[in-house]
Amino acid sequence: MSTYFTVFTDESKLDINYIPTRLSHRESQFNLLTKFFQFAVESPGKMAQRVLIVGNVGTGKTALAKLFGLKIMQTAQEKGINLRYVHVNCRERRGSLFMILQQAILEFYPNFPKRGYSSEELLGMLLQVLDEQNVCVILGLDELEALLKSEGADALYKLTRIHEGRLKEPQRLSIIGILRNLECLKALDESTRSTLQQNIIFLEEYSKSQLRDILSTRVTLAFRLGAVLEETLDQIAHLAEKEGGNARYGIELLWRAGKYADASNLHEVPPECVRRASSNVYPTVQKDAVLSLGLHEKLFLLGLARRLKHTTQAYLTMGEAEEAYRIVCEECGEKPRRHTQLWKYVNNLSSADVVESKVSSDGLRGKTTLIGLPYVSAEELERELSRGLGLQ
Amino acid sequence: MMVEDVFSSKGRVKILRLLVEIGELNISEIARRAGLNYATANQHLGTLESAGLILHKSFGRIRIYRLNENSPHARAVKGLIEGWEQRLGEK
Repeated sequence: MSTYFTVFTDESKLDINYIPTRLSHRESQFNLLTKFFQFAVESPGKMAQRVLIVGNVGTGKTALAKLFGLKIMQTAQEKGINLRYVHVNCRERRGSLFMILQQAILEFYPNFPKRGYSSEELLGMLLQVLDEQNVCVILGLDELEALLKSEGADALYKLTRIHEGRLKEPQRLSIIGILRNLECLKALDESTRSTLQQNIIFLEEYSKSQLRDILSTRVTLAFRLGAVLEETLDQIAHLAEKEGGNARYGIELLWRAGKYADASNLHEVPPECVRRASSNVYPTVQKDAVLSLGLHEKLFLLGLARRLKHTTQAYLTMGEAEEAYRIVCEECGEKPRRHTQLWKYVNNLSSADVVESKVSSDGLRGKTTLIGLPYVSAEELERELSRGLGLQ
Repeated sequence: MMVEDVFSSKGRVKILRLLVEIGELNISEIARRAGLNYATANQHLGTLESAGLILHKSFGRIRIYRLNENSPHARAVKGLIEGWEQRLGEK
């Protein structure tokens, strides 16, 4: 039996969900966040806090919030305080207040019924659960834009004013909103905006030297000693800087370069592997969006990518997309969803900027929805989806 | 309530087994998992609750049931079901 050599020692340290024990170059922001929530471990329930973490893709917003959540829960536990950090990705929850609140309740009651009440009722139930278990919660709302886009200002208003009718009762729900920029807050009314914008932590894009430092730490954790060449690290840091100081892109590139080295049976990761990997990493924004899709949305997208790959058309009609989807369903042994459900998928995918949809204009008989992939190559998308669905 | 009243109904035993295994459940889920209709499940739950074997919490219209850990009878039922299931697993 031939032995398989790998340049990795622990690939999981390069995973998108891995939270390092210390965030390099984010110490001051971490300390600021800790200061904002100091009350939670000193006088819990006395007040509720709202903080925004703002920064571009790959600037460490999610990692900062999650690491903070872990640390503050540790501190609270040591002091015998019942405090929980609950992280919810609003985009994964389709930007629905109902689903966001439901996920928070499921942390406490894993078998809580999934339907049969409104989001307003759910908000009341969440407070009831927190009162009953005498627990305070910091709710991390990642990709807050999705909630605002889908539910408008009302949802955030309700969340920030949840304690208003509870005079003399403990204030149990604090919020950390995580978003890319403050643009989307313009749609909010003055009072909600002012409540939210008191505490903002801005995360600047990482510089090249900072990116190199971060990558170097990950190399130590994930690769064999000396497997990643200095030139390789420089190159990845340079590419990640060009990608908007995006550390996540750099880490993804590092992982892929390692995979190319493994595939070529190399004991080191040379810059050539980075070149090959960089032509294959597709934008992190879309990757996140695609990862959070349901099975049939992925199947629909796969059909779309396959059909668009073999055509010179920029858009497919809804009918063509449905046909391609049914073929994929047949291949996977899945029962195809009907037209209305698929139309909902297209709207979801369009609002997540994965596809572009528009109503057909002159030149086509009747009216139909046209669907295209302007942001990512069909071939790339097909490869990623096929891999994710185990069709390769 | 006499012990034969509790165990004379397959539906009630199923409900008790579910609550021992899962912990907390709402009525619809109990009915679905036990293969009972809502009204029957509700009736059995009422009987078990009045016997002190189970408790419920209300969240608006939703009622979530669990075993009454403070009741010696409920603890005895739990011990019986767990022991029974364990034996089945060993066979």
